[in-house]
Amino acid sequence: MAVITLPYKYLERLTRTDRRTILDKVALIGSDIERMEEDHAAVEFFPDRPDLFSPEGVARAMRGYLGIETGLPVYPVKPSGISFSIDPALEKIRPILGAAVIRGVTFDNESIQSVMALQESLHWAVGRGRSKVAIGIHDLDTVKPPFRYIASARTRKFVPLDYSEEMTMDEILVMHPKGRDYAKIVRDFPLFPLIVDAEDHVLSFPPIINGERTRVTMETRDILLDTTGTDARAVAVAVNIICTAMAEAGAKVESVTINGSETPTLAPAERTVSVKECNRLLGINLTTEEMAALLGKMRFGARPDGADRVRVQVPCYRADIMHDWDIFEDVAIAYGYDRIMAQPPATYTVGRPNLVQVFANFAREIFCGLGYLEVMPFTLTSEEIQYRKMARPEPAGTLHILHPITIDNTVVRTDLIPLLLEFLTMNKHRELPQRLFSVGDVVENCRTYQKTAAVSMHPGADFSEAYAVADALLREFTIDYSVRESSDQAFIEGRRADILVNSKKVGVFGEIHPVVIRGFDLEHPVAALELDLRAVPGYPFP
Amino acid sequence: MAELTQNEKRLLAVLAREKTADALHLAAHLDATPEAVVQWAYLAMDNDGAKVERIVETGFIFTDEGEKYRNEGLPETRLLAAIGTGAILSDLQNHDAFKIGFGQLRKKGLIVVTDNKVVPKEGVSTREDETALKNPSKGDSRIKELIKRGLLKETETVHYRISITPAGESLVKEGLDLREEIGTLTRDQIISGEWKSLNLRRYDVTKLPKKAYPGSIHPYQRIIAEMREILLEMGFTELYGGIVQQSFWNFDALFQPQDHPAREMQDTFYLKETLPLPPDYERVKAMHLSGGTTSSTGWGGIWREEKAEQCVLRTHTTSISIQHLAQNPNPPVKAFCIGRVYRRETIDTTHLAEFEQLEGIVMDENVNFGHLLGILHEFYHRMGFEGVRFKPSYYPYTEPSLDAEVFVEGIGWIEMGGAGIFREEVTAPLGINYPVLAWGLGVSRIAMLRLGLKDLRQLHHSDIAFLRETPALRRTGGV
Repeated sequence: MAVITLPYKYLERLTRTDRRTILDKVALIGSDIERMEEDHAAVEFFPDRPDLFSPEGVARAMRGYLGIETGLPVYPVKPSGISFSIDPALEKIRPILGAAVIRGVTFDNESIQSVMALQESLHWAVGRGRSKVAIGIHDLDTVKPPFRYIASARTRKFVPLDYSEEMTMDEILVMHPKGRDYAKIVRDFPLFPLIVDAEDHVLSFPPIINGERTRVTMETRDILLDTTGTDARAVAVAVNIICTAMAEAGAKVESVTINGSETPTLAPAERTVSVKECNRLLGINLTTEEMAALLGKMRFGARPDGADRVRVQVPCYRADIMHDWDIFEDVAIAYGYDRIMAQPPATYTVGRPNLVQVFANFAREIFCGLGYLEVMPFTLTSEEIQYRKMARPEPAGTLHILHPITIDNTVVRTDLIPLLLEFLTMNKHRELPQRLFSVGDVVENCRTYQKTAAVSMHPGADFSEAYAVADALLREFTIDYSVRESSDQAFIEGRRADILVNSKKVGVFGEIHPVVIRGFDLEHPVAALELDLRAVPGYPFP
Repeated sequence: MAELTQNEKRLLAVLAREKTADALHLAAHLDATPEAVVQWAYLAMDNDGAKVERIVETGFIFTDEGEKYRNEGLPETRLLAAIGTGAILSDLQNHDAFKIGFGQLRKKGLIVVTDNKVVPKEGVSTREDETALKNPSKGDSRIKELIKRGLLKETETVHYRISITPAGESLVKEGLDLREEIGTLTRDQIISGEWKSLNLRRYDVTKLPKKAYPGSIHPYQRIIAEMREILLEMGFTELYGGIVQQSFWNFDALFQPQDHPAREMQDTFYLKETLPLPPDYERVKAMHLSGGTTSSTGWGGIWREEKAEQCVLRTHTTSISIQHLAQNPNPPVKAFCIGRVYRRETIDTTHLAEFEQLEGIVMDENVNFGHLLGILHEFYHRMGFEGVRFKPSYYPYTEPSLDAEVFVEGIGWIEMGGAGIFREEVTAPLGINYPVLAWGLGVSRIAMLRLGLKDLRQLHHSDIAFLRETPALRRTGGV
């Protein structure tokens, strides 16, 4: 999530109203106020609205929402006469380039920070950690157009930002902190992307680092923006968001020529949408004029077009408008969620429980009747608990997590008894007897099904108790079963039995082996049983 | 006055005759130990029926040595007699009382020794010491010396003098039931009718015996069950599905772009297993690339089959809902699923790697955003939350999207869950031609509020005391 710093004074000046009015309503356009400080608020915006990742963008949206300035914001763009060429060898490496000239910026420390923050938020939300889009900002006066975006030898040297000596691009990937962070994006290419000026000075090694030469300072007045990436749409959106934010702050945007075409235009996209479809989706009843007015509040250009249609100009910075419904959501936000009549649909249906849950509840009823306490252990566990401490071999179908975070969460459980024993360990200091049961999902060979299990720990716990409880469970479930001596190492020999249905093993019960008891750091006898619920007649998936 | 026990009654009956008596004496009458009698007497005193006085008497007992001297006289007395008017020291040394007697005589200064001759001082005697030993009394200053010499010891004897009070006397006058008390009725006593004449022991009904704990359903499961019942009552079909899901159903079918951060390894538990894609997966692929046949632009970029085939531990139960919709594309569909979902999170008091999610969907010809708000109102009201409000939000597969907040007394507005209408990019490739209202919420959040838990782990690694002490019945209010 992107948390944006909004300095009150700056925000008030841009929005042209007081901070109370703004902060009272800012959640209603889709945000959460994280905290309010002495001089600024920290507000979280959703990742689909990178245009709100700057105070300028928030002010633009709030002026519309508050009715201070509605409709499409227009950003005039003059050609700068500056051009870029793109090396065809970049096609497989990082083919897309966007650029712009932004003149007349007035930087102070705070506004440099603000642009940096916007740049970083865009790297995260649009750029997917710079792999899809990376942005560079340069002091235009330090370099000489035209510029070339080339695939360069990795041995090319230049002074990277924050350094005073030249390094090769290979060295940068190893030695520069940004190089280390983003090396994986370019590491495997034989040539590296590089932007150079007419005199072969390095502007940028995208997506890694700028050159020190073009560093932006408080004296910088004119900016050159470069944006490279792998996705043309994402690159264009990033350029548009930065250019329009800086235009909102008072700068003038100029286009550049890239491979012969002028960019950016900062022109809106056009869509024509149906009012009827919007009303039907939202459950409201707007006229074309009303809908156009609401869209104006959300900074769309909108005018009625016939009886049912509204012609919509989508601002160039709106990355999220992919579909007509995206526009309808803005209609709903402008209309106010609280004004939409909340009424359950008349759809007639009958409630139908799922048999898996019905049987699980039945197991709960039986065990509760027998005086057992339900516990709900995690489904993620470890080989240590599931198999090693149980003196059991790991079954072939055990599901392993590819990248576990901790050694306690490496597999998905196949059995419940080990987790119940672990539970007894956690409750060693509590009064005996302790009788616990659990019912829930296990996974084997990627298939999820349910098991139920119970343990009873007290000085008199024995095979007979396990058998009696298992028999009660099986009888109540009307399972026609037989038993045979088991070879399960978790139990004491001669005090363990497999539960068979149609000569297939569906469960086990008995007296837990003292080695297992000690392995779980327990001290008393434990009677235990476990049943695969697929043995229940009528179970939904046998 | 509390009910008198049988023993108190017996004691009072004896005291009614004796008025005042020593516990020892009463013990003989009551065929009990003096200690028991004292205990009953104190109980009776608590009930105002008797008075107990604790009397401490000091006495002396003689050591073996002291007893010997009482009989034969102190060694110094005997030695003094042997000295007579004077004696030779070396002669005296053979006397059996010499060793102690000579020391004592010298210490008390009763003799004079010159050269080898011992002469008693004039007019001396050991009579007072002898008297003190024969008849020790507490005030005698010589006793201290005798105690020091180890001839006798001081003892304390405690006596209990028990007397009846006027209230006790009137109780006895009113008549006491002195029949033997019975604790547990036997089968024979019930059948024979003997119970009619038995004196059943009365209990102090305010005194709690050892606690009994019923077998019980987990408090968290009760909350899940409550939600499930509400949704069944509201006409929803319950769904159940696998924990292991193909990325295709967990992400791609829900229009999550393949490069979406939520799909990255650090947020999702990936598995090495893969599953083949469903036959018409290409419609989903086309939607991602270009928006298919809808007004959408799609995500563009690239879409790789291998990425969609990879299995994950489901990150939401929406993977179950969407498959249910794909299999049941004809309206109406009202379904819900409560199941465990997985996020690759470091576990702490407010984060778990697995937690229960509830999700509901409604698909029908004319359902709209207002209906979604209506369902949420209804559901949260039934869960006991009076105040419900909505604000804009963002979920990748719904549009419009919202977050529901409920009002909790003492806390304020709390975000409870997200909702929205499935994007057409989600529904169209699966042949679903009507709006799908969808909402989800984290069940554990309500559980934390209801159960007053500070640590989410307590739901799964529970203290048995918490499970035993959490009452089954909770008021149906929000918290």
